[in-house]
Amino acid sequence: MSVASMKTGRAARRWPVLAEASAGEGRAWLFVFKTLLALYLAAWLAMWLRLEQPATAMITVGIVMHPHSGMVQAKSFYRAIGTLCGSAFGLALLCVFPQQRVLFLLCMSLWVGLCAGGATLYRNFMAYGFVLAGYTAAIVALPAIGNPLGVFDSALMRVSEVMLGLLVAGVVSELVFPERLRLVLRQEARAHFAHFIDFVRGSTGGSIPRAEMEQAHLRFVRAAVQLENQRASVIFEDPEIRARSTRMRLLNQHNMAAATSFQSLHHLINRLQRERRDAEVAALIALYRPIGAALTTAPDELHDPAVLAPRLRECALGLPAREAELRAGLAPGRAQLAFDTGATVLKRFLDELCGYVEVELALRGRVQHGAVERVHFRRANDATGAMVAVLRTFLTMATLSAFWIASGWAFGVSAMLLATVFSGLLAAMPNPLASAFNMLAGYALGMLAGLFTAYVLLPGSDGFPMLVAATLPLLLIGPWLNAHPEFGNIGGGYAIGIVYILALKNPMVYDPAHAFNDAIAQLAGVALAAVSFVFVPRVTGSGWLRRRQFRRLREQVVEAASAPLDGLPWRFESESRDLFHQAIVHTRPGSRESRALLAWALAVHESGRALIELRQQLRAGRYPVEVREAVDRAVQAVARMYRRPDATQRQQAEGLARAAIEACAAAPALRPHLYQLLGALRDDESPLAGWMPAGEPARAT
Amino acid sequence: MPREIAIQGVLVPGLLPIFLGCLLLMVLVDLLIGRYGLYRYVWHPPLFRLALFACLFGLAGLLFLH
Repeated sequence: MSVASMKTGRAARRWPVLAEASAGEGRAWLFVFKTLLALYLAAWLAMWLRLEQPATAMITVGIVMHPHSGMVQAKSFYRAIGTLCGSAFGLALLCVFPQQRVLFLLCMSLWVGLCAGGATLYRNFMAYGFVLAGYTAAIVALPAIGNPLGVFDSALMRVSEVMLGLLVAGVVSELVFPERLRLVLRQEARAHFAHFIDFVRGSTGGSIPRAEMEQAHLRFVRAAVQLENQRASVIFEDPEIRARSTRMRLLNQHNMAAATSFQSLHHLINRLQRERRDAEVAALIALYRPIGAALTTAPDELHDPAVLAPRLRECALGLPAREAELRAGLAPGRAQLAFDTGATVLKRFLDELCGYVEVELALRGRVQHGAVERVHFRRANDATGAMVAVLRTFLTMATLSAFWIASGWAFGVSAMLLATVFSGLLAAMPNPLASAFNMLAGYALGMLAGLFTAYVLLPGSDGFPMLVAATLPLLLIGPWLNAHPEFGNIGGGYAIGIVYILALKNPMVYDPAHAFNDAIAQLAGVALAAVSFVFVPRVTGSGWLRRRQFRRLREQVVEAASAPLDGLPWRFESESRDLFHQAIVHTRPGSRESRALLAWALAVHESGRALIELRQQLRAGRYPVEVREAVDRAVQAVARMYRRPDATQRQQAEGLARAAIEACAAAPALRPHLYQLLGALRDDESPLAGWMPAGEPARAT
Repeated sequence: MPREIAIQGVLVPGLLPIFLGCLLLMVLVDLLIGRYGLYRYVWHPPLFRLALFACLFGLAGLLFLH
């Protein structure tokens, strides 16, 4: 180690804040460097290829370069699709309404609105595709409106420029010091695996308090959703991850299923404990103990699937004998039924845990052999948020169009164009109202900087190196602001504003009157896009949408009770988690709402899963008609109760579940699932407890 | 192969289909390499992929259009 690095090392230890700041600053400057490289490369290539407006390529770079640039290829993929769709639509629109400005602008507004809606609907990088689809359609069609005959050439030019910008941005961020997201993904997946195994091992003692289980559930759901999000992006950038993609999905599904079964088991044990049925609790804990023992290995092998997988399989083989032995020690009737229920859930859990560990083992191998089952992580998107975004953007664009037509504004094109870009960008942001005004301020600043550069610094320069020298100092402020989240979205506005007003061309055209008129029009466009968020606020994260998602989360049980069974377990696990995750990120941790949501999520998981298992069992076996009918009635009653929970519905569901257990006296395979359902209905720690008749002892199961 | 191809009256450079073909080929090669984990023997995988694509495209272009 050299003296200098020892010194910095010591300084870092003494002032950790300083070391942290310098590390952050290093990353920021790297981003500045990459963005500027991409900007100038795009400008140079566009001039070299004799494209009409190098500025379009530069703006595209400005729109798509983002500090979170780990997933360049995912973005590029969707962007390219968006660009092609947008330009095709723009062309078609011009061909259909070359002389009908009202219809033309109406269709254009609708298209841009739909694209903004799409951008809100898909929370990952597909959003970029939608933003660009709107932007390209506008940039292809709007400037050509005064000259319909030249539309094809103009469209070709715009598409080439946009594509060039995308290509340069993609190549630069991929090749120059790329941030490898794969490593992050791998690290997080391993950490999650270790957490889960630790959690399972840590609860060998039997009971986990409900509060702790809720926290664990929150953690696991977050991990599951995040892993899926990352997987969906990383497959584009990394061929190795792509080869593992199906397995990673399967891994996630096994994990979710195992987590649900694990929770169900512990809900059951907790309930029995509260009812003071110690014999059953002791038997179930004794049955559970071998799993904990199988997971307890040498300290450095605690999270090694290669060691865990055979141990778990061995444990699964010994389970039936142990179960029979423990069951014989219990009194027949109620006690054995409770034990059977626990044993069924435990077997299911062990099976899923084995699957989870084995898939993890396969994933860690160098080469991926054979094919595995294809499963999908189903998203639970809500169309209302997107509809509101469509409406808002449509209104913005329609207002601008009407003003343009009524006033005969020569620079209406610029206003429309900028409104399109910013409606799309803002719609995809987490906090659009604050972002919108930050962006507006940034845009105004960027324009001032652009005007200063274009009319003070640039005129004296000659040749490309001089152009770089003249524009660099003010241009680099944009990406630098962008790399610092504390400045909000000022940077985003600044970067686009300065490039737009610079309008670099070869040879450069100087026309101050045009530039100022353009600037005013652009500012009006951005302002209108921002103001529209005041009039039509965003629904994502609002109380109304959260209540809606809450209801949909409960209705997952209805889905579990009535949807076709094929693929239902996977669908149920992923959709309910996605819904829950969407709702919980907008609540304050520890608030009443957040706790209610968590409690309901646990209840939904337990009941939904039990319903699915029950229905699968019913489908697989041969049962007399009266048994089928009784079970069916109970299933429907539980579904009704989750659709509209109240005391009578709960009472009715409980009665029918009891009746079904009676009817299934001769069908021992069905009884544990029904008993699990009944227990979930009577759980005095679940949210259903509020509807239980007061004074009735909790132990009446 | 002709230098320019007419699609519905629009002249398209003959390199375009070659480019698309190379892109497809690249996806297949990528799949193969990813499956056997061979990228870990490469210092800078994205650079390698870009270079590989440039080689493929250059070769195909020279073969078909020269």
